[in-house]
Amino acid sequence: MSSFSPLRRFGISFWPGLAVGAALLCLAGTIFAQIVILPQTTTVSAALDAQIWSILRFTLFQAALSTLLSIGLGTALAWSLFHQRRFPGRGALISLLSSTLVLPTLVAVLGLVTVFGRNGWLNDLAEALSGHSFGAFLYGLTGILVAHVYFNASFAVRGLLHRLEAIPAEKFKLARSLGLTPWQRFKLVEWPALKGTLPSMASTIFLLCFTSFAIVLTLGGSPKYNTLEVAIYEAVKFDFDLLRALKLALAQLAVCAFLVVVASGLRASSSAIAQARTPSIWGEPFGARCAQLGITGFCAIAFLAPLAAVLIDGLQADFTKLFAEATFRRALFTSLVLASASSVFTIAIALALGFARRNFSVPGRIPASWWTPVVSRVLAFSGTLYLAIPSLVLGLGFFLIARQFAGPLNFWAVIALLCANVLMALPFSLAILVPAMEKTALRFDKLCFSMGIRGIARWRLAEWPFLRADLGYVAALAFCFSLGDLGVIALFGNQDFATLPWLLYQKMGSYRTHDAAGIALILLALTITVFALVPRVFAGGRDAET
Amino acid sequence: MLKLDALTYHHTNGQSQIYEFSMHSKTGQITGITGQSGSGKSTLLDLIAGFLLPHSGSLTWNDKDLTPLPPEARPVTILFQNDNLFDHLSAEKNIAIGINTSLRLSAGETKKVRQALNDTGLEGFGARRAGSLSGGEQQRVALARALVRDTPVLLLDEPFSALDGETRATMLDLVGEIAVKYHRTVLMVTHDERDCSAIADQHFTLSNGKLHRV
Amino acid sequence: MTRITRLLVTFILASFSIANAQASDKPVLTIYTYDAFAAEWGPAPKLKEAFEKTCACTVDFITADSSIGALRKVQLEGASTKADIVLGLDTNIAEAARATGLFIPHGADQAKLDVPMSWNDDTFLPFDYSYFAFVYNSEKLKTPPTSFAELANLPKDFKIVVQDPRSSTPGLGLVLWVRDAYGDKAADMWKKIAPKILTVTKGWSDAYGLFLKGEADMVLSYTTSPAYHLIAENDNKYKAAPFSEGHYLQVEVAGIVKSTKQPALAKKFMQFMLSDEFQDIIPTTNWTYPATKTATGLPDGFKGLHVPAKTLLIDGKTVEENRKGWIDEWLMAIGR
Repeated sequence: MSSFSPLRRFGISFWPGLAVGAALLCLAGTIFAQIVILPQTTTVSAALDAQIWSILRFTLFQAALSTLLSIGLGTALAWSLFHQRRFPGRGALISLLSSTLVLPTLVAVLGLVTVFGRNGWLNDLAEALSGHSFGAFLYGLTGILVAHVYFNASFAVRGLLHRLEAIPAEKFKLARSLGLTPWQRFKLVEWPALKGTLPSMASTIFLLCFTSFAIVLTLGGSPKYNTLEVAIYEAVKFDFDLLRALKLALAQLAVCAFLVVVASGLRASSSAIAQARTPSIWGEPFGARCAQLGITGFCAIAFLAPLAAVLIDGLQADFTKLFAEATFRRALFTSLVLASASSVFTIAIALALGFARRNFSVPGRIPASWWTPVVSRVLAFSGTLYLAIPSLVLGLGFFLIARQFAGPLNFWAVIALLCANVLMALPFSLAILVPAMEKTALRFDKLCFSMGIRGIARWRLAEWPFLRADLGYVAALAFCFSLGDLGVIALFGNQDFATLPWLLYQKMGSYRTHDAAGIALILLALTITVFALVPRVFAGGRDAET
Repeated sequence: MLKLDALTYHHTNGQSQIYEFSMHSKTGQITGITGQSGSGKSTLLDLIAGFLLPHSGSLTWNDKDLTPLPPEARPVTILFQNDNLFDHLSAEKNIAIGINTSLRLSAGETKKVRQALNDTGLEGFGARRAGSLSGGEQQRVALARALVRDTPVLLLDEPFSALDGETRATMLDLVGEIAVKYHRTVLMVTHDERDCSAIADQHFTLSNGKLHRV
Repeated sequence: MTRITRLLVTFILASFSIANAQASDKPVLTIYTYDAFAAEWGPAPKLKEAFEKTCACTVDFITADSSIGALRKVQLEGASTKADIVLGLDTNIAEAARATGLFIPHGADQAKLDVPMSWNDDTFLPFDYSYFAFVYNSEKLKTPPTSFAELANLPKDFKIVVQDPRSSTPGLGLVLWVRDAYGDKAADMWKKIAPKILTVTKGWSDAYGLFLKGEADMVLSYTTSPAYHLIAENDNKYKAAPFSEGHYLQVEVAGIVKSTKQPALAKKFMQFMLSDEFQDIIPTTNWTYPATKTATGLPDGFKGLHVPAKTLLIDGKTVEENRKGWIDEWLMAIGR
């Protein structure tokens, strides 16, 4: 046994992952160098600094407010859904809510405008009923908050509901037999269970809102409501003021790095398994029941109406005309190719990183020594780069690289888009795949080692059958993220190189509402199809976990 | 007297099973009920505590029909194997919540909580966080709460199964003492016959959805 | 993996070139302009038809979401830009465009020009002009404000839509308009106007679209905009509000991009810009005044339009020296 070398044994699963991890860090380093080191200019007007401060303050403010509102509404809705187990369509509503993760931002924005805009459904209804309209509240800060809450409250619901489901049934029986009021029950039973997950959930939502781009771009309305990401975009696209863009990107990088460090300290306490539940035969007190039904009903309508609006408006679009447009056909093609490519790359990179990582986390593989903590840190960090480098900063970095190296801008645009999309999907993919891969290793390591099963044979026997469902989910996730992304493309998009979201943004901007509605519907349909179909294909006909 | 007369319940989750329970227990009496897991022990206690509604039959306490009452209005306190306490509250507050859910206690009530702490062997533990107590201590707190609630019927759902042998024996003795001192009618379900032989005045086994006297 | 990337990129790029491949091998003149100019109802389709009859070439209008956006697009694309001509800049941004060094002399004869200012510029050539004004719906708004001062004092729920001075020439024009009228007090005036701004759009067509949808009471546009509604829609309810401070003049220009591979063709187009054929298309498609006096003259709808008694204009060099500072001042005043 003295000649046994773990590195030789696990090399095949270790080196590719390390190479990918190192490559990702190099990429980050290059981008960072583009933004921090290369421009040797330090003299910037005080007015610009004052502006950056003011933008930073607003970005933090809207992110904090969005987080607070999202968590608040998410908690209220999770609480209501948990207690109203017989709400009609409850199951469908829950799965729809958790699918907002992949819903293209602009599609939701378009739906929100149709429903809540100045001439939207809500105002039409209010005017018909009371002769009074709510006006144009969807512009500016309110608009940003509404859209952020739309996405993040529904994101929060799933996690919070899961927490509530994991509370032992005995606690609720206890609350019942003590005669606790719903408020006391919330304080004593439900809140302690939710509390553990809130810091990490809040920090994720805060980070998402802090780096929000498409929503602020479309609903912010005026420079008064700029976030750093939008300010970077405007500095490049409006002013062509690269120095200003760099300054903004630097501020963005600094805050993101700080947030990521803080957030990494906030791990969610481990979650328990959800328990089977039967609804209480005594039901909820009248007041609480009204509140729960009210909240659920309100959220269901507020959540579904924009999607319905996209569907209704989209069906009126002239698809023959749309498909006759060369720009549209090209955008569709580009989007599909990019989404497929980023799906493939995401899976390849996630697998490489996952295989390498489990060598360190699964006992009986590579034993700890002086270098293992460094390497496992590198592997872990390379998967979460996106959180530290938001896509607009990434785009700006590539843009600067493109200016240094001659070559068609569109070539760099493709690379930048692929990188941004893969990096965006990676943290989610790793969160899903790594635990599953560790589980298969724990389960089959001894068997495989003793029988000498390795390489492809091991993949076929001991990995693929157990990972395929998760891989399908990851593939669909990466595809949909890429398909709906409006970030880097906003910097690089042009008539020759467009994606569907970019085209949608253009059509929205020029008030070709019919075309916009048509594209939005196509995006929505593609997303739903892929998200429903791909995991099933991977799972081989069996019901996929979603 | 607690009386169950042909109290039936149809279980429809998974395979369907019909339970029909008949028994009675006098005040101050300890009844032990044993049965395999899945034999319906928890269903029986859930019916008495009010978490399930029977399909037919009667359930009375001193000839008063209990079935229309919600759990909090029944003369019953139930103790589970675990999850009886609010971990983030102190032991004292966990007991006090049995008297007043808003935790506002009169001087007399506070004294009652102290007394219950003493009677369950928890002197000096009052200020400790429930989550920091050992399994045996936690069950003592739960028992103390059952005492302050003044409900004549005490239901024990495998209350000591998670405890080690010695702790378990002392806990069983404590239940025996309490039943006498506080005049409680105790129904204890357990999968261990020895628990019954240790303290029970009468003993039933549960199989095929029915109670059989031993 | 790099091989896969390269393959993929080649594949994607190839697919673009296939999609882009033009059937004929006629030379292509690529003109970057703002979206409204190239819209189906804008001047571009007719101009394309007219010029293609004479040039044995294909004219390709490519749109940016705003006029300054078209300039930024050329800057972004650098040497690899396809643009031969940028059309739609104005006197206020022309100096900034000149400073980029991306433009070369147009070589056209400027004698025919008839714009309300003296013009002698061998890089940029005017093709139309108009005056900035706020347009309102006279059926909904009975008493429009007659000055910035009056606008500033209107109740808070009175809403206007304006354009971003960083991306759109009307937006920049408005900043300069207020600057010229109020001098150093411009920032104070903006602070009072700010609460009335519903939103700041990137380009003119976003703003005008919002206004027509009824989202705002007034929109920043041109004194000549009502002509569109009069002539094309036979509708006289849209009017430009005369402001007592005077109105700021906008002269729109075009320039030839240095990296053009069709310099002769581009110069021919610049000459074409001053032809009667081009200039007669402008009033009823771009809804502005033509830059020359044509034989046909102005259409009837233009005759009843408000012509400002007082014209405001800050010379291009002063604008360029102060543009950033004034825009920053505007940004701060409206809340940044």
